[in-house]
Amino acid sequence: MALTLTCPICGKRNGYEFRYGGEDKGSRPDEKGLSPADWCDYVHMNTCTAGVQKEWWFHRDGCGAWFSTYRNTLSNLEVDRPEDST
Amino acid sequence: MLFTYKSLWGKKPRLKSSYEVVIIGGGLHGLATAYYLARDHGITDVAIVEKRYIGFGGAGRNTAIVRANQRTQYNVPLYKEALDLWPVLTKELDFNLMFNNCGNLNLMHSEAAMKAARMTIATAQFHGVESHLIDAKQAKEMVPALNISEDITFPIHGAMYHPPGGIVRHDAVVWGLAKGCAKKGVHIHQQTEATAIHTQGGKIAGVTTSQGHIKTPKVLVSAGGYSAGVINHMLGLKLPISVLTIQAMVTQPLKPLLNHVVSSGAYHCYANQTLKGEIATGAHMDPWPNYTTQTTAHYIKHQAEALSDWLPCLRGVRFMRIWGGLADMTPDMAPILEGNDPIGGFYMDCGWGYFGFKSCSAAGKYMAQFIATENCPDMLKPFNLRRYEKHQLMGETAALVSYTPDN
Repeated sequence: MALTLTCPICGKRNGYEFRYGGEDKGSRPDEKGLSPADWCDYVHMNTCTAGVQKEWWFHRDGCGAWFSTYRNTLSNLEVDRPEDST
Repeated sequence: MLFTYKSLWGKKPRLKSSYEVVIIGGGLHGLATAYYLARDHGITDVAIVEKRYIGFGGAGRNTAIVRANQRTQYNVPLYKEALDLWPVLTKELDFNLMFNNCGNLNLMHSEAAMKAARMTIATAQFHGVESHLIDAKQAKEMVPALNISEDITFPIHGAMYHPPGGIVRHDAVVWGLAKGCAKKGVHIHQQTEATAIHTQGGKIAGVTTSQGHIKTPKVLVSAGGYSAGVINHMLGLKLPISVLTIQAMVTQPLKPLLNHVVSSGAYHCYANQTLKGEIATGAHMDPWPNYTTQTTAHYIKHQAEALSDWLPCLRGVRFMRIWGGLADMTPDMAPILEGNDPIGGFYMDCGWGYFGFKSCSAAGKYMAQFIATENCPDMLKPFNLRRYEKHQLMGETAALVSYTPDN
């Protein structure tokens, strides 16, 4: 379950330095006309992808940066692009 | 009959082209649901499709602890019923489930935890579940190996003692239920992977498997940690679930020293001694979602540190085996039991996190009722999926061992 992540500021670091921030769901939806179902979708719902997914991460024990990256949930390996599946 | 293989529960059935109910996932929830569909509702035209073999997933990877001392008034009655069912099922299935009613001890490491324990105990007592608060000295009398000194990382203030709980042999439950299902005519299809669920006009029409197509009006997904991924992949429905690998391990066998299941929220550690003498221990999940079920040195170190603090006699004892399984965590630490919404004939039984084993008998019983009558039984109503968009999350996160879905 070893994980190495690439922080945009600090470079490749041990995964335990980071806090997982959830599946990358894009920017916060506009509150105007937002239905409870849409808000629930943004806050709680996940795809639970078995494969490569885009995720939010926080460099908790490092520079404090928030960033997005792609990771394969079947192998715990970070990948450059969503179509890479190693 | 040397070298010929016949499974315990009977001959391998042929996959039919249609079934009244198809259950995806041959774990304990699927098996229990099929068993009760046949036993209570006369529905025996049921297929369980399992990608690997029955009991491959959480059913055979959990640490076999059973208890009914959850936090909220919705959860306690369900787990109490599950707990009461072990001796009943042992008789009914004519299969020894090896229920060891040793009782559970939850250690408290602060005055705040003692207060929280009082609340949890009051809930249990209100629902007729035996549970008491004891102080550190009483805990030491029950478990002489316990370190109640004040110079450890998390000194022990007291404990929540729950006598009705204990350990059940999980593999026996898989085999017993499989035998019970097969005897009533349920088809168990192993090495049969569901690859697609078909709908027509908002209703379930069938399931495609690696062994052929099945026409069916009702599908239950009870695939444990794989449920959320399967449901999203096949039906495009997203669930409030995160799937994390959770690890457990056993030490070398020792002389009897632990007569209870002892757990500690602060140490993220629980331990019980198996009938073989091994100390089975575990508790923490990986800090990020994954399907690897891989084991890590990081985690072995954590368990060794925790155990040598509160059970110092285990210092120097070796771990023999370590394994991983999946926990599908919801934001409110309570499961999702839903049916006919938003797809007619589609049922789901998932989001159990690490509570899937202790709940399987009762959950199966009520899911069977749900599927047979097409009406949600009162017992399962609080576990609907819509509670998240109504902001009616359950208070189960206030339980004494609390993890968030993203840990």
